[in-house]
Amino acid sequence: MSVAKPHESAKQVNGWRARKFVADYGVYIALLLLLLAAAVLTPKLYEVNTIAVVMRQASQLGIVAIGQTLILLVAGLDLSIGGIFVMTSIVVADVTNGRDDLVIPAILIALALGALVGLGNGVLVTKRRVPPFVATLGMLVLVKGATQAYTRGVPGGFVPEVLGIVNQSWFVLSIPLLLWLGLNAVFMFVLGRTAYGRKVYAVGSNTEAARLSGISVDTIRISVYVLGSCLAVASGVVLTGYVGYVDRFIGTGLELDSIAAAIVGGTAFVGGRGGLLGTIAGVLLIQLLSTMALLMGLDIQVQFIIKGLVILGAVTLYSLANVEE
Amino acid sequence: MSDYILEMRNISKSFAGVQALKDVTIRCKPGQVYGLVGENGAGKSTLMKILAGAYKADAGEIIYKGEQREGATAGEVIDSGISIIYQELALVSQMSVAENIFLGREPRYALGVLNLRELHSRSAALLTRLGIRLDTRLPVSELTVAQRQLVEIAKALSQNADLIVMDEPSAILAGSELDQLFSIIESLVEQGVTIIYISHRLDEVFRIADEVTVLKDGELVETRPIDQLDRPTLVELMVGRPLDEIFPQTDHEQGELVMVAEHISSDTILEDASLELYAGEILGIAGMVGSGRTELARALFGADPLTSGEVRLVTNKGASWSNPAKAIESGLALVPEDRKSHGLFTSLSARINVTLPILSRITRMGVLQSQAEDEIVEAAKERLSIVMASADQEAQYLSGGNQQKLVLAKWLETNPTVVILDEPTRGVDVGAKFEIYKLMRQLNDRGIAIVMISSELPEVIGMSDRILVMNAGRIVGEFAHGEASEAGIIELATMADSGANHS
Repeated sequence: MSVAKPHESAKQVNGWRARKFVADYGVYIALLLLLLAAAVLTPKLYEVNTIAVVMRQASQLGIVAIGQTLILLVAGLDLSIGGIFVMTSIVVADVTNGRDDLVIPAILIALALGALVGLGNGVLVTKRRVPPFVATLGMLVLVKGATQAYTRGVPGGFVPEVLGIVNQSWFVLSIPLLLWLGLNAVFMFVLGRTAYGRKVYAVGSNTEAARLSGISVDTIRISVYVLGSCLAVASGVVLTGYVGYVDRFIGTGLELDSIAAAIVGGTAFVGGRGGLLGTIAGVLLIQLLSTMALLMGLDIQVQFIIKGLVILGAVTLYSLANVEE
Repeated sequence: MSDYILEMRNISKSFAGVQALKDVTIRCKPGQVYGLVGENGAGKSTLMKILAGAYKADAGEIIYKGEQREGATAGEVIDSGISIIYQELALVSQMSVAENIFLGREPRYALGVLNLRELHSRSAALLTRLGIRLDTRLPVSELTVAQRQLVEIAKALSQNADLIVMDEPSAILAGSELDQLFSIIESLVEQGVTIIYISHRLDEVFRIADEVTVLKDGELVETRPIDQLDRPTLVELMVGRPLDEIFPQTDHEQGELVMVAEHISSDTILEDASLELYAGEILGIAGMVGSGRTELARALFGADPLTSGEVRLVTNKGASWSNPAKAIESGLALVPEDRKSHGLFTSLSARINVTLPILSRITRMGVLQSQAEDEIVEAAKERLSIVMASADQEAQYLSGGNQQKLVLAKWLETNPTVVILDEPTRGVDVGAKFEIYKLMRQLNDRGIAIVMISSELPEVIGMSDRILVMNAGRIVGEFAHGEASEAGIIELATMADSGANHS
């Protein structure tokens, strides 16, 4: 109700500060606690090689999670990225057929196709008003079907050797990690310091108010889906180099993990709130959980249970912090 | 046993060390209407939430029907015969009228099977008792806002309420709808029901209340029988200072023609509306809720596409537009009626809210220039005296008045030539209202033309240079300043045949 409470400014400021604290630092506190727990439970995690592997894997998830965060910020959702991974890996293998010099054209073609998928998602969601869940799920099935039709079920071609570079680390640095950090820097700047970023938040926060403020809401939403798909292609290239062959099930589960990472990191499912700083921590949190579970020799089922509990815990915390009185 | 149905004695409540209510006492006799007034933040809602069992008082006691109440839950409070109708209605829009009235208490057969026949017959009986004709099978989504309000009242009655609290019931009602609400209140009172009526509209308080309680800053200022009060005194009690005049006046000549709308219709109720707007004037738009006022505003702004007709500026090379983005470019601004859903970005900072339509002015190559932005935000904060802890505070944590100022600030930064204000003072307290009126006059002095839609007739009459009256989607008449009377406007606005023209 909008009739105000007494001394609301003092009370509201306290509420705002408390909420902001949870939103801004909650996931980092969780991450810190997990790292402390790891020191006792899985000290092996702190070996340089392990850190390097964890960071490489976190980067694969992290790059998609950037796109997923952008899409969640406009109150959207992208389930189609699994299809984009498969498509990317097939395009890379098909175009290069193992030749290193064709890697760049292959990536460009994959990016173009990815952008088309994103455009499809965006147009379905905006112009046809299909709910994002349904639109991108449909697109996932469509893209997977198209790739299978193209390969007739037997993916051919070879992954060029040069892509194997994604599995190398220098100390803890690696190409995927640098790519992830670089893309984070770029998109943090875009979201926080540009007019485009402001519009993304505005569209997610209140679509009608954004339209009445003169923002081309549809353009912003479509562009975010296109960016998300292109980032998924980037992650798909890294994954293809990591796997080293064309895999029909490549990157399965990353779509849900990327959504989880963004949500755990404080990006609101309803849009307009959150950001990449949180998503980075969310990605690290999810990756650490998997790695620690692996190091402790826990079954995959147990890993899923732990992951699920962490996601539910985070979401509960945020919704408690977000209760509007 | 005392004469009172309810006594709230020496109620105090603080939140996180901040005193929200201090030693407040109110007493209500059966079959009376009690006005509860005060500015936003005065403590009305906190007091009612304590009554509702939503908050627990730190000190004080509640004596209801002669018994001291101890720690009742919200459900127990309802069962004891107290119903609270909140400003933002709590109905399930997909469900029918009857289902809403008996939500959670539906008549049942054995094993929890719903007795639909009884559900509808009992609902119909309740509506008849209220003098409302409404099909109980209709989903609430099909009802007008006014009808929904009535359904809420029926729901309160179905709970056998002896005491009904109405929190700004009239904020969304106008004209005959209000009359209906008041006649319902009168008949409830005759049946012995006690009403606590919270409103910002003092005229209504004078019309229906037997006694008025004024709260200010969490403390009781005074409780007085209505016949010992007049309007200026009541305003002074609420604000703590006299308001010399409610509606600031300026004398000015009619400016040049700035905008014309010719025979515009949109895919809504709006049909064949024409108007002219002059620099420095306030054009008031009056009419009942649902008469097409908001639709007119949206059509003028390009928010709803026109199906026929044209809107253009006379200045600015006769610019016309087909969407909000182009309208803004041409110098229009729209402060929408529904602040929360159409105007404000509640999850974003005050800063972002203010500068959103002028991003091009504070960016270079798409990159934000913090300093330029800070200056604009700071100036807006000063100019409208917006109270906020910091410009990074999320808009949802600001009070209603400050939220409204934020939306106004946003549009003033665009340097508009035409400002459309749809219910600019709804849900805003007396003090903030006066500030908004002053601001409108300042805009006029700068030559800005204002279109003001309002359900409050004193406001329309007091502020407007000219008044257009809408009825069933059409403009049915025009009054010049000084010619308009509430009765005259209401007559036009409620006329069944909307074809006539009056001037």
